[in-house]
Amino acid sequence: MGSVFKGIQKLGSAGLVLEAILLSVLGILLLIGFIVLRRWYRARYFHKRNRRTVALRSQWDDILSGKIPAEDWRFKPLDCDIVESILLDSIEMSAADKLPPLLDCLRVSGLLDMRIYEARTSRGLRQRTALLALGRTRAMEAIPALAAGLDSRLRETRIAAVRGLGRTARMEAAIPILDRIVSGRFDAPERSLKNALVNCCRSSPEVLVDYVDRTHGPVRELLARVLGELASPELGEELLVLASDVLPEVRASAARALGNTNASYTLPALHSLAADPEWFVRLRAVVALGQIENIGKISILLRALCDANRHVRQRAAWALARMEPQLHQILEDVVATKDDYALQAFVSELERSGAIEKIVSGFARSGHHSTETGLMEVVAEARKRVELTGKAAAAAAGVH
Amino acid sequence: MTVHFLAISNDTLFIYFALSNLIYLGLLIVAIVKNVRHRHRLGSQRLELVKASPFTPPITLIVPAHNEERSIVGSVGALLGLEYPCLEVIVVNDGSDDATMEKMRLAYQLQAARILYIADIATAPLHAIYRSPLDPRLFVLDKEAAGCKADAINAGINAATSPYICVVDADSILEKESLIRIMAGVFSDPGRVMAVGGIVRVLNGSRVVNNQIEEVRLPKSPIEVMQVIEYLRAFLVGREAWAGFNMLPIISGAFGVFQRDLVLQVGGFRTHAVGEDLDLVVRMHRRLHEERRPYHIDFIPDPTCWTEVPTDLKSLARQRARWHKGLIDTLWPNRDMLFRARYGRIGWLVLPYMWIFEFFAPIIEVVGYTTIILALISGELSKAFFLQFLLFGYAFATLLSIGSVLLEEMTFRRYSDWREVARLLIYCLFEHFPYRQLTMVWRLQGIWQYLRGDLQWRSMKRVGISTDPVV
Repeated sequence: MGSVFKGIQKLGSAGLVLEAILLSVLGILLLIGFIVLRRWYRARYFHKRNRRTVALRSQWDDILSGKIPAEDWRFKPLDCDIVESILLDSIEMSAADKLPPLLDCLRVSGLLDMRIYEARTSRGLRQRTALLALGRTRAMEAIPALAAGLDSRLRETRIAAVRGLGRTARMEAAIPILDRIVSGRFDAPERSLKNALVNCCRSSPEVLVDYVDRTHGPVRELLARVLGELASPELGEELLVLASDVLPEVRASAARALGNTNASYTLPALHSLAADPEWFVRLRAVVALGQIENIGKISILLRALCDANRHVRQRAAWALARMEPQLHQILEDVVATKDDYALQAFVSELERSGAIEKIVSGFARSGHHSTETGLMEVVAEARKRVELTGKAAAAAAGVH
Repeated sequence: MTVHFLAISNDTLFIYFALSNLIYLGLLIVAIVKNVRHRHRLGSQRLELVKASPFTPPITLIVPAHNEERSIVGSVGALLGLEYPCLEVIVVNDGSDDATMEKMRLAYQLQAARILYIADIATAPLHAIYRSPLDPRLFVLDKEAAGCKADAINAGINAATSPYICVVDADSILEKESLIRIMAGVFSDPGRVMAVGGIVRVLNGSRVVNNQIEEVRLPKSPIEVMQVIEYLRAFLVGREAWAGFNMLPIISGAFGVFQRDLVLQVGGFRTHAVGEDLDLVVRMHRRLHEERRPYHIDFIPDPTCWTEVPTDLKSLARQRARWHKGLIDTLWPNRDMLFRARYGRIGWLVLPYMWIFEFFAPIIEVVGYTTIILALISGELSKAFFLQFLLFGYAFATLLSIGSVLLEEMTFRRYSDWREVARLLIYCLFEHFPYRQLTMVWRLQGIWQYLRGDLQWRSMKRVGISTDPVV
């Protein structure tokens, strides 16, 4: 090569260009060669893998029971990979009573130990793969190795550890995450943390309460948000404390949680939250009211329907429009508020849910045609006014 | 004097050409690294967990439709079948002259509904709002035509009730998991991620059954295959790499997710903008920089939208001229962002790049070709050097095209048949001669039309998505 380029150099700048042409052509050939080789290799690999998968599947019961000793497949990389995939998929899909033989196979074959070792000693992609595989095993002994992954200096690895812990769906796996969150120095995407905590704390949300009490600011909000998803009636008083928290996000989460607890204290608590100074707390309270079965919520929702915030009005309307037996009375109450926005929001939701036809036919059956016409006229008029106001507001905001 | 001019022109062309290709080589390398990392990340992502998560936010799909009678019913059916837990679909019939509205009314038994609609963004008047008793997630806005897609999208934004909106073309096909996948970009950091774009791929040639891609195939005609290569390069290389540096200047109008509040803050899509998608993203960058908000506008390469591309030269010429008009139409109003510290890398890198290597590209190329030929005729340039220079330009640009096919091979491998890949590679050899020269002419036409004030939308001949096995 050197002698060829030496000759080319004598040509001066033209030689340089020629050299560039040769390099480009070489690059093209290399790329094409790489693509062809890669295709060939992959086709061969997947063919072989398919063949081995069929063979191993046909012996699956013997592999699981240990009749075929682990040594037969464990030290063949392809076989080992296939067996592990099948085991992990089975573990994920199995009920708790079906887990022991699958976990035993992982333990006896040393696959679990291998993954724990990789999670502790490897770096980069290999470590992340091991962490996720460990999470899928749902084994108790995987938790310390996963917890160690939380301390990695690489964000991607920390995320893999969080996901892995979440996939174990064990309350014990939540503790290392919570401990690190509480320290305030743990950096991982909020969504991954929340999902992992929801998975782990589903059966015992009370574990979160203590941590919520110990934290402040955004961490407290995050934990409250998770608690809001998982809260059960047993949390009762704890939720009432959170409902009066200084942080609006925590109050909003308490409101969400109260939606899952149809207890005696629920309605009064939501009544107070529906009058919160923060609109999104009121919104959460109204959404929660929509979830609970209690006739007493109508008056609170009617008040929320006249809220200054559009979202709160919409959700209140949504909840009211789904209270079918009381719809006639509610419509009359809404008209009586003389609030055009409230009326429009409610009618809009009746249209959306398809209940408007039932109301109209209900009026027709009862013979109150004049009432129906009167109501519909009020509704039509209110709609016009709302649209005009909306356009005027948009124009005033300079939006065009 | 002439000789001096020719020398300067040729030097400029050489430097321009070298810079342009080197930048693209850099982008290709960044894109390969980013794509491979993304592939690894995908391996750990469980879509069913995302679907089941209570933290998955609702999303509104906005489908602007103007004279889409051939495909609208099937497209909407496919959109309603997308895998996403809380979905709302708003079809905006933008004053269609054909039977778009009738077909929707019949297929979904639409009923007029008095739904709350507040015009946060002013649009052409609405005739009516309809809902479907068959699927409560579907709403149809019937509005007067405003002569632009942006107005229809804005009406959809006004009616949307979700914090995120996704704009989808009525003639495009989204893969079933594409919404979940694109929203994964938002989930990575909901506080910062303001918009996410997905990849748009060429539908022509593929087998479509029930508005879902059954088999990915390359189109038959060379002009369509060339566009496949172009799309691969633009999305897998260009957008992926720019997004890596948080400098993504465009999210395709065919498929992108935006934070609704931010879109409202910037006044929605600019009515009568020629390239409304590019315009919106640049204005989002502007607003976020002016407010000094930390943000990210991202691109995710796996959520896929399949779209039909022009099949004849005339339609392709119109499309390319329009794209170039759209480029100027966005760059010119935002010229004050150039080299201003407050706009950071957008003002210092992306916009200058778009001016120099996108907008001026056809002008520089045509001037360059002319002066090189003049220099050749006048004897200022040796024939050997001229040929070598052309060969080098061709070989290097082909290398980059093949690089984008390689990237596709290393990551998503949508063309599974090796004969298809072989065809792609062969067509890479023809992309830079004569296809590139043709696009140069069309882009020049775009500049000329813009300077004449001709911003008219010219229709594109389309085959349409049908239920036939082969499109």
